[in-house]
Amino acid sequence: MNGFLVSARHELLATRRSRTASILVIVFVALVLASAVIGWITTRTVTDVYEQIRAAGMTSAPNPFSGASPLYFARNSAIYVVLIGCLMAIVLGTEAGLRDRRMRTSDLVLTRPVSAVSRLLGQFAGLGIVVLVALAVSLAASWVVIAAITGGPLSADETLRIVGFGGISWVLLMAFVGAGILGGVHSRHETAALLAPILVWSAITFVLPQVGTAARPIALLNPVPSVAATGGGFDLASAITGPLAITEQYKRVGAYLLQDPSASGSAALAVMILLTVLIGMFAVVGVTSRRSLRRALDD
Amino acid sequence: MTDFAIRTFELSKSYGGRRALDRLDLDVRRGEVFGLLGHNGAGKTTTVSLLTTLLAPTGGDAEIVGRSVARRADVVRRSIGYLPENVRFYDDLTVLENLRFFARLSGLRRPDPRIAEVLELVDFTGHDREKVGTFSKGMRQRVGIAQAILHQPEVLFLDEPTSGLDPVGVRSLRDLIVRLNAELGMTVFMNTHLLSEVTKTCTSIGILRQGRLVHHDTLDATLRRFPGEESLEEIYFRLDAAVAS
Repeated sequence: MNGFLVSARHELLATRRSRTASILVIVFVALVLASAVIGWITTRTVTDVYEQIRAAGMTSAPNPFSGASPLYFARNSAIYVVLIGCLMAIVLGTEAGLRDRRMRTSDLVLTRPVSAVSRLLGQFAGLGIVVLVALAVSLAASWVVIAAITGGPLSADETLRIVGFGGISWVLLMAFVGAGILGGVHSRHETAALLAPILVWSAITFVLPQVGTAARPIALLNPVPSVAATGGGFDLASAITGPLAITEQYKRVGAYLLQDPSASGSAALAVMILLTVLIGMFAVVGVTSRRSLRRALDD
Repeated sequence: MTDFAIRTFELSKSYGGRRALDRLDLDVRRGEVFGLLGHNGAGKTTTVSLLTTLLAPTGGDAEIVGRSVARRADVVRRSIGYLPENVRFYDDLTVLENLRFFARLSGLRRPDPRIAEVLELVDFTGHDREKVGTFSKGMRQRVGIAQAILHQPEVLFLDEPTSGLDPVGVRSLRDLIVRLNAELGMTVFMNTHLLSEVTKTCTSIGILRQGRLVHHDTLDATLRRFPGEESLEEIYFRLDAAVAS
């Protein structure tokens, strides 16, 4: 077994043993599942009220949910991925990047025939499996809940859309896993290792979209694409910051996949941007030197 | 096959403007237990770090069983075992899980039988399911030796192996080093500042002072060269004083 596979396998075991990582994964799965349950409760409440109003002869309009796609109930998942999912990814990545330096096992690892690239990309791959399992469990549970709400299994097309949503969520989360690993490997202090990628995430999620769109902050927490640029300087700012605001790109792809009628912009371009960021993150993690891996922490 | 386990050729290391190791020329034959002595900051750990490929030299080169540490670091890593000073492991994992990881990194496909063998050798059977985080320093040193010899290296590097151990731990580790050398024919390179340990363990010694090798010979020859001195400690201080003056 080569260094890459050994590191990937070891990362799975170490993450399973880490209490913080396990709790975050459980919270993430629970929240994604909760988003479907909240959708179910909302539908039931609105439908019950609608039925009462209709019985009282106060409306003849159709039930507002009657034309909605079953995937409507998974729309809030996008927000949980952007919020708790990205934080989970950063914590997992930081723990992995810091582990050898914090435990002082770097020298034991680096006197073995393993390159820094194999070691780090192996850890990256191991966390890729952790994130994949978390997404698979949460979206499979969402599928079951949506099927229960709509009274029948989702169609093949809808199921594929959920799988695609899982795939694009994985791409976004792995970009933040990479940011966490880099924070863990390059920071001089444990606290900075976690803080630096969280600052990057905050800027990408909350600052960049506002710079380009003048969106109200509350809009950033909703599963809708950003408010369109309003011309003038905003167009220019949007052109520059748009590709960097990867959480907005993710929400755009998510809106298309989950059949949100308000989806706008190019989903293909957004997917390209997300994939480019992930590949770039792989490359940056891959060029980390052996010296960085054994640099002592100042804490 | 070369007779030498370790050879260095003007091996040097500088940190910024400070020279930590200055043109070290050293030969250690196969099967020897070599002790590198010196004050704190003399360059002992730098030497071990260079020989174990953890650091890259800024000048010269070294060979481990005939392979250059600068040009063939990956091959060198297959031939060496390393026990750092204050060895640490993944605290949340058991002894077995830690050793499996290091064994697989060294290329062992099915490591469990070898791990059982090595734990018996270091007299640590029965602890393999325990988490390393709960261990004392002495226990960690044993696991440390176990991880260092898992892949049957030709040369074993020990950096201050007895530092921080109680007298029982020191004796037990010393016996283990002697056994590894005698039974498995492993060449041992040991950094230490405990002269009493060197006398009881090493077959040859070197003394580093401010990054330079000021003495290198077999232990017997060294003791013969200073007939008036009763202990290695006296010899060490005499040599050190001679160089200082």
